[in-house]
Amino acid sequence: MAPRPTTGPIGRALAALLTLLFVLAFLDIEPARAEYGDVVINNYSDAAGMRPVVFPHWFHRIRFRCKVCHADLGFQFKAGGNQINMAKIIDGQFCGACHNGDIAWSVENCNLCHSAKPGTVTQVHESTIQKLAAPAEPARK
Amino acid sequence: MHGLARLSVSILVAAASGAATADVAKGKSVYEKTCAVCHGSGLAGAPKIGDAAAWAPRIKNGNAALYASALNGKPPAMPKKGGALDTPDADVKSAVDYMVASVQAKPDAKKDARKEDKKPDDKTAKPERPAESAPAAKAGEPSVVSVAPTAALAAVATPVAATTSVPAQTPAAAADINAFNRLLKPVGRRNLPPAEDGIHDPANDGTIALQAPLAAYGNLPKSNAGNRIDWVQSIATKKITPRWDRNDLKAEPVVMDLNIVREVKGSMPDVVYPHKQHTEWLDCSNCHPAIFVPQKGANQISMAAILLGQKCGVCHGKVAFPVSECRNCHSKKKDLAVQKTAEAK
Ligand code: HEC
Ligand code: HEC
Ligand code: HEC
Ligand code: HEC
Ligand code: HEC
Ligand code: HEC
Ligand code: HEC
Repeated sequence: MAPRPTTGPIGRALAALLTLLFVLAFLDIEPARAEYGDVVINNYSDAAGMRPVVFPHWFHRIRFRCKVCHADLGFQFKAGGNQINMAKIIDGQFCGACHNGDIAWSVENCNLCHSAKPGTVTQVHESTIQKLAAPAEPARK
Repeated sequence: MHGLARLSVSILVAAASGAATADVAKGKSVYEKTCAVCHGSGLAGAPKIGDAAAWAPRIKNGNAALYASALNGKPPAMPKKGGALDTPDADVKSAVDYMVASVQAKPDAKKDARKEDKKPDDKTAKPERPAESAPAAKAGEPSVVSVAPTAALAAVATPVAATTSVPAQTPAAAADINAFNRLLKPVGRRNLPPAEDGIHDPANDGTIALQAPLAAYGNLPKSNAGNRIDWVQSIATKKITPRWDRNDLKAEPVVMDLNIVREVKGSMPDVVYPHKQHTEWLDCSNCHPAIFVPQKGANQISMAAILLGQKCGVCHGKVAFPVSECRNCHSKKKDLAVQKTAEAK
């Protein structure tokens, strides 16, 4: 069923919303603390015995506008949603459009991309849903 | 939340019922941590915990179906594993059991539950409603997210789980309880170098070669959230010059200066959507038509959708500045009829 927050009594929706926003604003906690926007891609890596891939948005957006990847190179706005694999990469698609030894260092540097802790699931780190979904984890252990 | 109080209550309950089980405790903690945000209040149409009417038709489909929905998500609003993708499957299932048990609660659990209501510092605990009368309680339901499920729920031991009894954990040092910032992330734990960030594997030789964010952020204008960099200003002041084309260093974006004002009901300032700052980074095709029909007012946008990662939330709360920065978007004061908003900054 679709979220239809605009229907229903507005006060109720607002109260729920404000609580969420409260959670958002103040419960800025996370067990892992990687940089905002870091994407972990792990559709195949774990199964193939490789560490999952970490894609750092902050690093790339200093060098490229979003348009380069998300319009020109066709990356969909969805973590894990592009069925990236090594065959495509060495053929110059996705990461391989730049990590080709020409624009950026090339694919033999496996461990620069495959750098996540084994078992880390596909995710956008620090995304709203992660922050909303883990409001009650104690900050310090 | 309120670990000590809650734990001691669950210990009491456990002692009383003699059936504290790993799965129930796990289910409760996963529920509180991940599911309560939506299932505590019924946000976005989620079946509310303790609401028998909401759960009954679902429970009819059998546990397997419920587990499947919880593990794989149920589009569009129930996220895979409630969004906490690193939760083990078994724990997600325990959380489902826990919610299902909430509408099948036994009466004898109520007594212990009331004790908990009296905890003076437990601000978020809602008045107990006996699970059996959940449908009746529905109308007057507080719409505030109840992060804390009740001890009554904790006490419900599903028969399957009753075999693997574990000792309750001793809560962490009591000295921490009234710490000034209980939940705010300390400054030192932001923008961590890769080897310490919890996602990169410190045992991987490549990790050490990666750049630490703070090394790159040195002279960039700061902000209060996300990467803690003001990316709009970074580009405007040419502190960074990200390429618009992969190869062609001279290619320039087609910046379009068109503000769209979206009126907001209630007290929040109206939203000014600025094409200018967006077309610095993005192509028209990134938003039109997949995310927004290019026509003023033609798109239904709400905060709930944004929080769930739709509309503006496709980028904001993922890569562009997070949703916590209300005033970046809600920037037009209502009373001032003609406020100049050409520059949102
Ligand atoms: C530029 C970044 C990058 C580099 C360098 C890289 N990979 Fe990958 N690799 C990826 C991405 C992205 C995926 C998709 C990850 C997923 O979905 O699990 C992937 C997937 C894989 C997979 C699983 C899918 C498949 O194609 O079989 C294997 C195995 C793999 N990489 C091995 C390697 C090896 C070995 C190297 C070094 C020779 C390497 N990778 C270098 C980015 C990279
Ligand atoms: C160098 C390439 C590159 C650049 C530049 C880039 N991205 Fe991405 N983006 C990616 C990759 C790779 C993914 C992950 C795709 C996957 O997992 O298949 C991604 C994923 C995303 C997602 C999806 C998150 C989700 O919901 O799952 C969003 C949103 C996004 N990027 C926004 C942006 C924005 C906004 C910018 C500009 C500020 C930007 N990206 C710049 C490569 C890039
Ligand atoms: C972002 C909000 C959100 C979070 C967080 C969330 N849920 Fe849900 N959940 C929903 C919504 C909305 C529905 C109703 C889906 C529908 O019927 O379309 C739902 C439905 C369900 C159902 C019933 C599915 C069915 O087949 O009828 C189960 C079981 C469930 N959620 C379990 C969980 C568990 C377990 C967690 C925590 C690990 C969780 N949910 C976290 C929003 C959420
Ligand atoms: C539009 C071009 C482009 C695309 C596409 C791209 N990268 Fe990069 N990437 C670069 C450039 C340029 C660098 C910097 C290279 C250098 O320092 O020599 C870089 C550096 C990196 C780094 C190292 C960051 C550091 O700390 O030094 C990682 C990791 C990385 N890329 C991963 C990926 C992955 C994974 C993908 C695909 C999902 C990808 N990149 C796609 C251009 C790109
Ligand atoms: C980040 C997303 C985004 C990008 C990129 C974007 N737009 Fe828009 N555009 C919007 C939104 C949001 C609206 C307002 C829709 C509404 O009010 O329902 C809009 C509205 C419009 C309108 C309707 C204006 C009116 O008065 O009816 C036009 C025309 C338009 N955009 C053209 C463009 C063009 C041309 C580009 C590229 C240069 C572009 N947009 C880039 C998000 C975007
Ligand atoms: C396709 C991705 C995308 C979508 C969708 C999107 N934005 Fe943005 N937005 C960005 C990026 C990238 C920036 C640059 C700043 C940053 O990254 O933090 C930005 C900047 C802004 C700014 C400028 C803040 C400033 O400091 O000047 C405002 C305001 C804003 N967005 C509002 C909105 C609103 C409102 C919507 C929905 C109608 C929306 N955005 C949808 C990507 C997006
Ligand atoms: C990325 C931009 C953005 C941010 C950040 C943002 N909002 Fe909104 N907000 C919107 C848009 C767009 C609407 C829908 C306006 C409309 O009806 O056209 C909206 C609507 C609302 C509404 C009206 C009810 C509803 O759900 O539609 C409230 C209340 C609200 N926002 C509160 C907040 C609060 C509080 C924050 C900060 C925690 C916040 N917003 C942050 C863009 C944003």
